[in-house]
Amino acid sequence: MIQVSNLSKSFNTVKAVNDISFTINKGEIFGLLGPNGAGKSTTINMLSTILKSDGGQIIIDGIDVNKNPNTCKKHIGVVPQEISLYEDLSAYENLLFWGRLYDIPILELKNKINSILELIGLSDRKKDLIKTYSGGMKRRINIAAAILHSPKVLFMDEPTVGIDPQSRNRIFEVIETLNKQGMTIVYTTHYMEEVERLCNRIAIIDSGKIIAQGTQSELQNIANIKEAIVFEFESLSASKGQEFQSKIDHKSILNKNKIIVECTTKDLPEIIIESNNLELIVKDIVVKKANLESIFLSLTGKKLRD
Amino acid sequence: MILAILKKDLKLFFLDRKGVLLTFLLPIILITLFAFAFGGIGGATKESKPIKLLVVDNDNTKESNAIILKLDTLAGIHLIATELKEGVALVKKGKYVGVLIFEKGFQNAIISGKKLPMELKYDEAREIEMGMLQPVLMQELMSSIGETKVKSSITEYLDKNFTGLNQKIKDKILTDTNADNSLVSTMSLKMTSLVKEDKNKANIGLIQAVAGTAIMMLLFSITAVGGGLLDEKEAGTLKRLLYAPVKPNDILFAKMGTALLLSILQLLVMFIFSWLVFGLPIFKDITALLVLIVAVAFAVSSFGIFLVAIAKTRQQLQGLSTIIIMLMSAIGGSMIPLFIMPAIMQKIAVISVNYWGIQGFYDIFWRNLPLIDILPKIMVLLGIGIVMTIISTQLFKRNILTSINR
Repeated sequence: MIQVSNLSKSFNTVKAVNDISFTINKGEIFGLLGPNGAGKSTTINMLSTILKSDGGQIIIDGIDVNKNPNTCKKHIGVVPQEISLYEDLSAYENLLFWGRLYDIPILELKNKINSILELIGLSDRKKDLIKTYSGGMKRRINIAAAILHSPKVLFMDEPTVGIDPQSRNRIFEVIETLNKQGMTIVYTTHYMEEVERLCNRIAIIDSGKIIAQGTQSELQNIANIKEAIVFEFESLSASKGQEFQSKIDHKSILNKNKIIVECTTKDLPEIIIESNNLELIVKDIVVKKANLESIFLSLTGKKLRD
Repeated sequence: MILAILKKDLKLFFLDRKGVLLTFLLPIILITLFAFAFGGIGGATKESKPIKLLVVDNDNTKESNAIILKLDTLAGIHLIATELKEGVALVKKGKYVGVLIFEKGFQNAIISGKKLPMELKYDEAREIEMGMLQPVLMQELMSSIGETKVKSSITEYLDKNFTGLNQKIKDKILTDTNADNSLVSTMSLKMTSLVKEDKNKANIGLIQAVAGTAIMMLLFSITAVGGGLLDEKEAGTLKRLLYAPVKPNDILFAKMGTALLLSILQLLVMFIFSWLVFGLPIFKDITALLVLIVAVAFAVSSFGIFLVAIAKTRQQLQGLSTIIIMLMSAIGGSMIPLFIMPAIMQKIAVISVNYWGIQGFYDIFWRNLPLIDILPKIMVLLGIGIVMTIISTQLFKRNILTSINR
């Protein structure tokens, strides 16, 4: 659905996006993960046609974005990071206005607005002015305004900034519904848990460059990060602990009566057998899965919210 | 503690260039303009430009020619010879302050001591200039006519009683003779306002008040409307508009269209109000008035959008527009009627959009000019609008659209 090749953009001497390439398949939720200033929004601005690239090519649904920006705009929707709505208009009036920009016939548009308001759970508040809405409700209308023309691709630029967990979950449900309907979604965020929950594939972007891309497990392999399993024993002397460490074929750390082993769950039976052989009584086992946070840390050497 | 806060506030104030300009430069410029207008500064100096007065010599005699030549030597008056019909038309169009007419029989009237057949037809809209011109003109006319009358009486007397007197002696007698103004103390100059005969003519003060204020306030309100573009930029809705299949210029043109419609509406409301409350005769030439309102609205709305396109934020716009609109209004005649300004200020006034609008309304309500005669001013207003639109389009791309994507 989207092919990006050697895309670059500089502002004066600052290279905001530096020769990035990626492909997004139809029906995917593709996460663009990176800290503030990584180049996510610049990339989205170029993909959504409002910013000209310095070099490279963007093809969306077979259309060259640089050559046919207006044709391309009809096939894409953008949920901006800011709540870009007219506060003094009602939700319905806002949606009517934004929909009219896409030349949707009025009756069709009105039906579409009603079904979208239903989807986002705001039908009963449609006549209320946007300024009377909570942050979460505004965010939902912000999304609704971007999908009135049923775009094939939806760009979502940090759509959950500053809202409560309940509203966030509601937005996730909307995104998942849209994706089930066949919409390809490009999702930028610096919240790990959002990417982990929503995205099929992820590109990690930092300082204008894509450091790694793939599924979460592919990224895990790229970063060479394994799961960590924490074994807690009833009692563990230092000598017994060291003996246990020497018997297992994995990196491990001894911490009082706990031993943290870097391994996968597949290695678990083998390690339990070793502990039985040494007559150690296992009190608790906790599997710590490798997450995007640890992958990001491993790949970039810094925390995501640095 | 107080000193620290005071020092900080002063530092912040002087860092704000626009605030400093508003506080010091703008009042200085306005004081200078008002001093020019009301204080007579530059009005009567040797450097000030003479008032241009048309002259029609229907008598075309030695005496009338001599008086015209003498009047033309005055520093404050510059005479331009013309025909009666053309002269009257030019004054009616507001091109000249008045036309001085020497009728046939002028020379004979001097000699015979009859009432002098001369008349000054003038534009009452320029009564301040007339006020300055009249005493100078009268003094010089009395002096010249008195001298001419005495000399012609002496010549007649000498020719009658001293036939064959040497010309040199005659000239000496005439040169040494001082004209006695009392001889023409009964002389009066017939003054006729060229638009006075129109009963529907509006009060000049009312025209000035309505036209001047309407255009100045229109500039302020349109800048506020156009400022919505900067609000949209800050709120993110402008960026969202760009995501839609809308050309960037269409956004600007839509905003200009809104400003234009509101400008027309605002001017209509102001003129209807002036008609209802003050009796401004707006139906005297409704076609010309409507065409002029559209032209003024186009020029002013384009100028307002131009100010918006210069600014990058609402705060910038507020500072900038206050300075520019106040200056334009002062220069262009919204605050002070142009006819009381010195000639140099009247020349500078043409750079202001206010000037063309106000003069257009004067043409309709005061000079009773038909639409065809107002067309040049309408063309200038449309020209201002077109130029401002072109510049605004470029500035909009450079200042507003570029900053959205950073």
